[in-house]
Amino acid sequence: MLSEERRVEQQSALTQPAAGRLAAPDVRDEFGLETIDMSMGPQHPAMHGLLRLILELDGETVVRCDPVMGYLHRCQEKIAENRMYPAVIPLTDRLDYFANMHNEHGYVLAVEDQLDVEIPPRAEYIRVLMCELMRLASHIPSIGFLMLELGAFTPILYAFRERERIQTIFEAVTGARMMFHYIRIGGVKADLPPDIPQQIWDYIEGLEARFQSDFVDLIQDNEIFISRTRGVGKMTGEKALEMGLTGPPLRCTGVDFDIRRDYPYSIYPELEFDVITDTAGDVEASYRVRIAECLQSIRLIKQCLEKMPEGAVMGDLGRRLRPKEGDGFGRVESPRGEFAVHIVSDGSDTPYRVHYRDPSFCNMQLLQEVVPGHYLPDIMPIMGLIDPVSGGWDK
Amino acid sequence: MAVTLPEGNLEDRLKRYLDGFSGRHGLRESEIIGNAVRVVVAPGDVPAVLATAKEALGIRHLSFITVVDRVGSFELTYELIDLRGARVMVKAVIEGEEPVIGSVTGIYPTANWHEREAYDMFGVAFAGHPDLRRLYMWQDHFDHHPLLKSFEISTRRTFEGLR
Repeated sequence: MLSEERRVEQQSALTQPAAGRLAAPDVRDEFGLETIDMSMGPQHPAMHGLLRLILELDGETVVRCDPVMGYLHRCQEKIAENRMYPAVIPLTDRLDYFANMHNEHGYVLAVEDQLDVEIPPRAEYIRVLMCELMRLASHIPSIGFLMLELGAFTPILYAFRERERIQTIFEAVTGARMMFHYIRIGGVKADLPPDIPQQIWDYIEGLEARFQSDFVDLIQDNEIFISRTRGVGKMTGEKALEMGLTGPPLRCTGVDFDIRRDYPYSIYPELEFDVITDTAGDVEASYRVRIAECLQSIRLIKQCLEKMPEGAVMGDLGRRLRPKEGDGFGRVESPRGEFAVHIVSDGSDTPYRVHYRDPSFCNMQLLQEVVPGHYLPDIMPIMGLIDPVSGGWDK
Repeated sequence: MAVTLPEGNLEDRLKRYLDGFSGRHGLRESEIIGNAVRVVVAPGDVPAVLATAKEALGIRHLSFITVVDRVGSFELTYELIDLRGARVMVKAVIEGEEPVIGSVTGIYPTANWHEREAYDMFGVAFAGHPDLRRLYMWQDHFDHHPLLKSFEISTRRTFEGLR
């Protein structure tokens, strides 16, 4: 057992500065048992990207969880201040790299908020089509990651098989598999290649047919899955709202909020889809919400393909972009929640300030609140509930 | 336990929010733009205005806090949304080299990390914050605030005390 002095020394080395720390509950009981501090990450095989959790453990129970971030911080907001508006779009791809299309879309909406430009309807349909494909390519692997962390290896292979096919479609449309730079201010970079709508349709039909067997029947009633996820990370809707959660972590607590419906953008008002909620508010509920949202995305993709008009894909922009002075806002529903961009323009061709509100960053606050009281191995399923992406929380 | 969210038509709600703010606080500017209420308040009033937004008007979600370095002053934007189509933008300008503003973590707990980020990037201190540490940058031996306009990106930074 460590002496008291050594313990204090070690603790302050782990969590400097000691002043102003969150007050940790005192769990040392009359037997003189002590808690131990443990650092989980930043290099941890199951961790989503580079995240360090400073844990205070009482036996196997977590009493304090303090996330330390910044290992992938590139200060994107500063870089963006020194570039012209269109040159920021490829940077946004590097934010949340599982939702690149949504980042581009959010940024572009914020710039267009300050510009007088009409977006051709075909471009809007292509944007939504790409975003919904991206949502599939993010939700399905996130289910795979959750299962991988619980020890099941098969679902991640099925998930990446699907993601791979969607990336092949993206490659044919945009020329890149992940860093697209496809959604541009005023429209999209290029029209869809002629055979792509049929390819997407065939793929979506196939996915719909095998979705039930590969991702629902395989996982949903599995005894190990249920015992590791039911009741884990449980929170109420009130608590979730207080922590500022959005996206599936909020909807799995029963709060009915989806930016696509409540703050409509692009052509979402013309499309039919349901906002999925669940009441349990635990890891299992978030899995069910993601599964149901995949089916809604399939529905949206089909409607986009059916309704897509012909025409131009790029609006009429001047040679140099000079958004008018003031605040521009863009807000989209990314797979992880509310992705918002705030641009402050001073009338020149570079933004004066760009601020990103990334869902991974805000949703991760639940670690501090929800993890204490859980066992150490429950942390990974709770990370699966949030499904954060390192590029997102670190900007 | 079900969560109650604001109801009713958007225009009425925006008007109700604006009246709610102007009835209780001195506003420097106030207007309705599209689906947003924009109010500019004195920096000392920010916690009180946000408390009104949450408790009296039922706006439940703090989306983000943006700080803008206007060289000599700092402009803070608190973006609130009521989850049903209306937005509220609360703006305040802090003058001076060592900016301090009251923390809103007691009202919106989610502000915790947003304020830590603002402190890290701009050096804006939030009085009453329970845990005001740097969020991204190194805790020690780094006394720069990278998003200040005075921080040049091409300059090589050293870690004082660590060489």
